[in-house]
Amino acid sequence: MGFILDGLEAEEYDRSYNDRQLVKRIAAYFRPECWRMVGVSVVILLSSVFSTLLPIYISRVIDDLDRNITDADLTTITIIVTALGILAWVFNAIRQWYSSEAVGNVVLRLREDAFDAILARDLSFYDTYPSGKIVSRVTSDSQAFADVVMLVMNLLSQLLLIVLLIGYLFLVSVEMTLITLALAPLIIGTALAFRKIARDTVTQSRRILAEVSTHVQETVSGIGVAKTFRQENAIYDEFQDVNKQSYRINLRRGYVFNGIFPILNILAGIGTAALVYFGGLNVRDGSLTAGDWYLFIQGLALFWFPLTGIASFWSQFQLGLAAGERVFALLDAESKVVQTGNIKLDTMRGEIRFEGLYFGYKESEEQVLEDFWLTIRPGETLALVGHTGSGKTSITKLIARFYEFQQGKILIDGHDIRSLDLDTFRAHLGIVTQTPFLFDGTVMENIRYGKSSATDVEVEAVARQVGGGDWIDSLPEGLQSPAGERGNNLSMGQRQLVVLARVLLQNPSILILDEATASIDPLTETLIQEGLEEVLKDRTSIVVAHRLSTIKNADRIIVLREGEIIEEGNHEALLKKGGHYAELYNTYFRHQSLEYMNIHPEDWFKSARATA
Amino acid sequence: MQSKSEFTVQNAYPYNQASPLRWIVSHIWRYKALFLSTPFFYIFSHLMYAGAPVLIGRAADILIDGGTQKALLWASLGILAMLVADGISNLTGALCMENLAQKVERDAREELYTSLLGKSQVFHDRQRVGDIMARTTDDVRQLNVMISPGIFFIYETVMGFVIPITFMVGIKWQLLLVPGIFVLTYILSVREYVGRLNPVISRQHDEFGTMNAGLEESISGIVTVKASTQEAFERGKFRANAHKFRNSYVQQGRIEAGYLPMLLYGVAVGLTFLHALILYRQGSLEIGSIIAVMGLINVLRWPTFVSLFSLSLLQNGLASGRRILEIIKAETDLDENAGGHTSEVQGAIVFEDVNFAFGDNTVLQNISFSIQPGETVAIVGQTGGGKTTLTQLVNRTYDVTNGRILIDGVDVRDWNLTALRSQISKIEQDVFLFSRTIAENIAFGNPEATQEQIEQAAREAQAHDFIMSFTEGYQTKVGERGVTLSGGQRQRIALARAFLSNPRILILDDSTSAIDSATEDEIQKAIRRAQEGRTTLLITHRLSQIRWANHILVLDKGQLVASGSHEELLRTSMHYRRIFARYDMALPPLENLAQAV
Repeated sequence: MGFILDGLEAEEYDRSYNDRQLVKRIAAYFRPECWRMVGVSVVILLSSVFSTLLPIYISRVIDDLDRNITDADLTTITIIVTALGILAWVFNAIRQWYSSEAVGNVVLRLREDAFDAILARDLSFYDTYPSGKIVSRVTSDSQAFADVVMLVMNLLSQLLLIVLLIGYLFLVSVEMTLITLALAPLIIGTALAFRKIARDTVTQSRRILAEVSTHVQETVSGIGVAKTFRQENAIYDEFQDVNKQSYRINLRRGYVFNGIFPILNILAGIGTAALVYFGGLNVRDGSLTAGDWYLFIQGLALFWFPLTGIASFWSQFQLGLAAGERVFALLDAESKVVQTGNIKLDTMRGEIRFEGLYFGYKESEEQVLEDFWLTIRPGETLALVGHTGSGKTSITKLIARFYEFQQGKILIDGHDIRSLDLDTFRAHLGIVTQTPFLFDGTVMENIRYGKSSATDVEVEAVARQVGGGDWIDSLPEGLQSPAGERGNNLSMGQRQLVVLARVLLQNPSILILDEATASIDPLTETLIQEGLEEVLKDRTSIVVAHRLSTIKNADRIIVLREGEIIEEGNHEALLKKGGHYAELYNTYFRHQSLEYMNIHPEDWFKSARATA
Repeated sequence: MQSKSEFTVQNAYPYNQASPLRWIVSHIWRYKALFLSTPFFYIFSHLMYAGAPVLIGRAADILIDGGTQKALLWASLGILAMLVADGISNLTGALCMENLAQKVERDAREELYTSLLGKSQVFHDRQRVGDIMARTTDDVRQLNVMISPGIFFIYETVMGFVIPITFMVGIKWQLLLVPGIFVLTYILSVREYVGRLNPVISRQHDEFGTMNAGLEESISGIVTVKASTQEAFERGKFRANAHKFRNSYVQQGRIEAGYLPMLLYGVAVGLTFLHALILYRQGSLEIGSIIAVMGLINVLRWPTFVSLFSLSLLQNGLASGRRILEIIKAETDLDENAGGHTSEVQGAIVFEDVNFAFGDNTVLQNISFSIQPGETVAIVGQTGGGKTTLTQLVNRTYDVTNGRILIDGVDVRDWNLTALRSQISKIEQDVFLFSRTIAENIAFGNPEATQEQIEQAAREAQAHDFIMSFTEGYQTKVGERGVTLSGGQRQRIALARAFLSNPRILILDDSTSAIDSATEDEIQKAIRRAQEGRTTLLITHRLSQIRWANHILVLDKGQLVASGSHEELLRTSMHYRRIFARYDMALPPLENLAQAV
């Protein structure tokens, strides 16, 4: 179909690069494809020339028909006409061949660079860009960008074709050319007007499609509820409304889209009839040959199709450039975590010291930690407790070197954290995130992610250490069970067990554990707690604690409020003190206690009455 | 025909569901007047469109033979009239087609949706929501596109070939030679081309999906990647995927570059010209006719180009039809059982040797127990142990494979489905709320409930206070454009829903977690209140709920490994003891190990 239907979804966007920067970036990516691009340009030029030559040649032959035609003439004519057709095809084939290679290579390079760039970013980058957006930049935008470069080249070739043709036509007859050109504003005007209407219908149609999707998604997800309450009829009626509305809107859209080509054809028909008549008059008074007359009529068809393409060019061009800018913005985002040295620590005791540390997620935002001091002894299990936003997670993320801090020092075994080689440092660091993350592979592979050199036997041994290994037998194929996309095949509890095994295999000197809050069935919960004990043994551990049993077992509890350590000690002592910890206990941990479990059902309402 | 359904619509139009093709045809045939009238517009349109070059040839003859200006004017007006008539009839035809296409899309979606409402829960559990969404939106859309412009393109191709060639034959029958051969070779080469291109396209499609999924995974797991210093591994994986995609992208470009039909067309133009010239030299063709013939061969360019799309559109349409029909025809296991047992439920539940399997996968084995009206039963076991399935058998979300389940002494399969389900309330693990107001959500099963009744139910579910904390109170919209509720809040709204419908049996899949003790207090109270006076089946992670249940069932891999009260199980079940061993509590001595498995 015509280009007239393309790029209807273009939107205005903010430029963040000026033209020169952008052209430079684009050129850099296409430079390795330099020869292919030159080749493509040449064949585009040639195929334009030959496409123009064919009707011109035929028109000349028609003029020569008055003479007697010899066999030799016939052969020549046939060879030339056929050759023109074949050459046009060959040039087009070469163009497509090379341009798909060029586009393929450029897109590949862009994707590789973009992927490398995002891997090198610290976590503040991932806070600003949601993962869906990063994915679409790497995959879709890179393609859209490369495509637009090709679009520009094609458009240029079509413009060239028009210019060549018009130039020649002017030489033949100025009057006839002007008649032909008179049609151009009409065609472009119609095309632009159509696009304006089409844009609205496209928007409406997209909106209604989203509505249909939402309705279906909601009712299908909630079908169990609808069935339980036997509300199918009500839902069906609602669906009918949405579906009928969708029909009406899409019908209107279809009418608009189907209308454009017949209307353009009618316009072209007016032009053809005008050329036949006025050209005919010129032939009659001898100022035009029959062949030229034929050429003008044929030329019109060559002429009006590219014109409709010009109407859509600008919005497509914008879409492509916007895509390009989005990819470049991804490449140019700077990593804020900067290492000043590359000390490789072979072994680590696991001592961590915060000295007068200042930290905020963004320079402009409020500081999370101010003049923060803390020493964590080797082998100690430290529990961090506090309300949301008190700085617990920030402390662990700073130790993992996921974020840059503004002032002060973090010392690992006495070395400035900035002076360490990041890869070797992180090899000594185990991290268990709050939501366990599994890759699409077997459970075995997921555990081995912690230490790629581990043998099957080692993996199995480590897995058995977690929760007595009972959980492995409940997996359908043991350690060879597929975890599924993001571990979907496993229950939340099983995923946590896998992650614990992973970190146990890695055997790090420092462990950072952000305890999961998801509730797990009591049997699996028991396994996890047994597994945790195993993991926390004999290494420095910093735990953002959500389980009562974990804080009870911790060597030291640090109580945080607004980035400050306000209390520290063990569970009993802190509880007795009746300070902030006691408040936190009553807010977050009380319901996990044995006393809570033993409250008799009747007492629930007695105590409620008592407090009321 | 569908054998069973939980939902049917009166006077539904009967479509032929024997095969995808017949199904699509029967949808189109419903509007046969529309479908049958369109070809006439197309034939007329092409007669006019191909007639124009013939008339141009006539005009040339007029010029060469020195005809009058008036004759020329008439010829020009004739051309104009023909091209305008072409435009108008083409437009009319296209609009008819479009109308038909949109109607088919609407009807197909409605048919699919109706069948979805009628499917059992077994079906919906097996089907991913995303999959169903794709079928009700993309696939249904594909049917639309298959008709307009798919069938439209086919008309264009057929008539775009047949009519101009007929006209050429009309000028001189010998002229059939070159276009005739062209059409034959054209058909062969298109078939070959499509056969080569399609596998590459679908491979490329898959590779794009793999690349995307891999990328998504690396990004979502970035903390794990960085923490395990596996950047190099991830980079290698992505590069390999990106390379594969690049290769098939280039391969597709190469195949497309070699699109033979356009070459054949170029050759056909040359040979037709040669043929016309030979005929001219023999004196059997006028110059005007040569111009006409060259004009007609030009008309063939568009169908040569467009036929490619029509084929794939048709193929895609059929494939989509197959996918939609697959869902429509999927057997559903339950029916409404309108004539079944109807009475007020008392709440006694008995499982007798119940077995259940999804296909070959056994989920429950030999489960037997009985519950008195008003009792609370807690079901304990690991995820995947069959707890949820067990409760789903009670309200006939699924039917047992073997054995039977009795409610008040009557087999659940003999109950009227509406009577049964309306007296059993089920609160799922993921409480589903519709994107409506909170009041509407609470009153979902009882649309006629008054505001007072709704509020009363919310109070009993300990939900009133948090609902009133929203600025719009009960009129607050839930979901996408409204307020997001926490798991605990959703659960209490579902409990309010249950209080309002006042069921005799309550099934509560309670796996929400409250991070703070105050919320936990509220939930505890709400659940306690809900248990009062009704039989309750409770799947819970809350030890306090388990501890105080009348009866506890311990499930392990689909088998009932222990049952009894808290005190009994502490004495008899290893599984159960292990849970409490971590608390600083005095455990009674273990007795009767044989029973504990």
